[in-house]
Amino acid sequence: MSRLNARKLKEKVFLACVGALTFLAILPLFHIILTVTAKGLPVIAERGGKFITGTLSEGGIGPAVAGTFLLTFLSALLGLPVAFLVGLYAYEFPNSTIGRWTKTLLQIMLEFPTILVGVFVMQVLVVPMGTYSAIAGALALAIILTPYVAVYTHEAMREIPFTYREAAFSLGLTRAKVLFRVLAPMAKRGVLTGVLIGLAKVAGETAPLLFTAGGLYESYPHSVTKPVGAIPLLIYQLVQSPSKADHLTAWGASLVLLLIFLGIFVPIRLSLREVKL
Amino acid sequence: MGDAFKAMTFPAVLAVFILFAGMLFVYFTHAVPAFHRFGIDVYLKNVWIAAENPEDEIYGVAAAIWGSIYTSLIAIALALPLSISYSIFVVDYAPKWLKNPLIIISDIMAGLPTIIYGLWGALVLVPFLREHVMKPLHEHLSFIPLFSYPPTTGYSYFSAGVLLAIMITPFASAIIRGAYSMVPFTYREAVYALGATRFEATRLLLGYIRPAIVSGTILAFGRAIGETVAVSLVIGNTFNMTWELFAPGYTVSSLIANQFGNAFIYEYMTPALYAAGLALFAIGLAVNLLGLRILGRWEENVKA
Repeated sequence: MSRLNARKLKEKVFLACVGALTFLAILPLFHIILTVTAKGLPVIAERGGKFITGTLSEGGIGPAVAGTFLLTFLSALLGLPVAFLVGLYAYEFPNSTIGRWTKTLLQIMLEFPTILVGVFVMQVLVVPMGTYSAIAGALALAIILTPYVAVYTHEAMREIPFTYREAAFSLGLTRAKVLFRVLAPMAKRGVLTGVLIGLAKVAGETAPLLFTAGGLYESYPHSVTKPVGAIPLLIYQLVQSPSKADHLTAWGASLVLLLIFLGIFVPIRLSLREVKL
Repeated sequence: MGDAFKAMTFPAVLAVFILFAGMLFVYFTHAVPAFHRFGIDVYLKNVWIAAENPEDEIYGVAAAIWGSIYTSLIAIALALPLSISYSIFVVDYAPKWLKNPLIIISDIMAGLPTIIYGLWGALVLVPFLREHVMKPLHEHLSFIPLFSYPPTTGYSYFSAGVLLAIMITPFASAIIRGAYSMVPFTYREAVYALGATRFEATRLLLGYIRPAIVSGTILAFGRAIGETVAVSLVIGNTFNMTWELFAPGYTVSSLIANQFGNAFIYEYMTPALYAAGLALFAIGLAVNLLGLRILGRWEENVKA
């Protein structure tokens, strides 16, 4: 009898530990959201619409917001077509040598230190051009975006039942027609999810922009070959400043960034079962 | 034969491969001057003497490599119990209505912009850790070498490790949870049929997914070692090669983030930073390949 009790006790302790550690694991997110809101909201409320549209010296982050959207848009333009085609290739040739390497390469690039991508782009684009630019920042982000979207495309394609493939091929269609006209449209939803999650990810990236985008906070971006700002980059620079006023701006900017991220991420996540990050 | 599909997709695949090879090539060629000048010492020594005169420049990035590995190890040590518990809780014990919210929370944490972790870490977490963890430990247990460094600013290996642990827990738990939920249901039935308590059952089932836990840990380590901005904001950015948890330090990525901007003034600093980047490249590659390999093998075994 006492032996049984010892076992029951052990189980109780174990369950309590598991519950407590789980709570501890997700606690930081709530603390982060609460802190960012509590510290960012008064800043935005005080400065009003100017915070979103004004330049840095006016106490706003307008150019950084515009820069983030510009960079995200350009990186999508550069990265998405390549990512989609690579994902299709990895799906269609899973057992060929190149197909297997492609899959492994995508997995490695998914995990790659993003600062190294930034330094690479600096060397091949910023140094020859002689200036930081929006296009360099976008290229760095595109390199980070590509494996995400490719992996999602690959996964989405794999979920299509094999019978559709058989049916399409038995109609005598070519491989290109089967994949681009029949199967790819069926995977639209999954691919789109990957695209949006990839965009949410690169919109929040900082390290690859450090030596590529340059930063521009006193005027709105007007050329893709000129330096451009971004919200994460601005926050990084403001946190390192000793001035308390800069920290306040950083909190406000973080709230804006958090809202952009949650605004893209949560709706997708709610409409979907699993996410691979 | 004219396969239009191949003709359209293969160039994209080729472009990605060339890009990757190009990255390796760029890092290697730009690091070469540092190897010529300092030899293997660039990795083994902990010195950082920047001078106008190239003759006087000496660089060794050992402290940064040490910092990258040490902070990632601290992060893993803290994240592992959290992510295993989380996985067990979500799969086995969480009531149905709580499961999905918990998974969504974890996904949000994994995707949250790292700069937000950095800002929160630098302005909220570090002051908290210094007052409530580091100072008490230093005051009462400073005879243990780990705690002997006085936590004056709080920016330290320890702070970086804790912040990284928070950031990689959702990532590690996604892999472990995936594996844990893949354990065939008959195994659970069998264990409970033997009269095991839930603790005993979980312990047994965890043994079954041990390879997945190992690879999840390795992949999370790979992610931690590459993190840049959040770490550079809380680690203190000082060349300090030590076990002492509360000492400020450096990591390879924070070194590059901090020094690259003005490295071109000096002749050998840029090559030294490229050499450091190359080391990070190599460690990251090896770690990720190993992790993916273990995970792949385990999944094959389970499905077979």
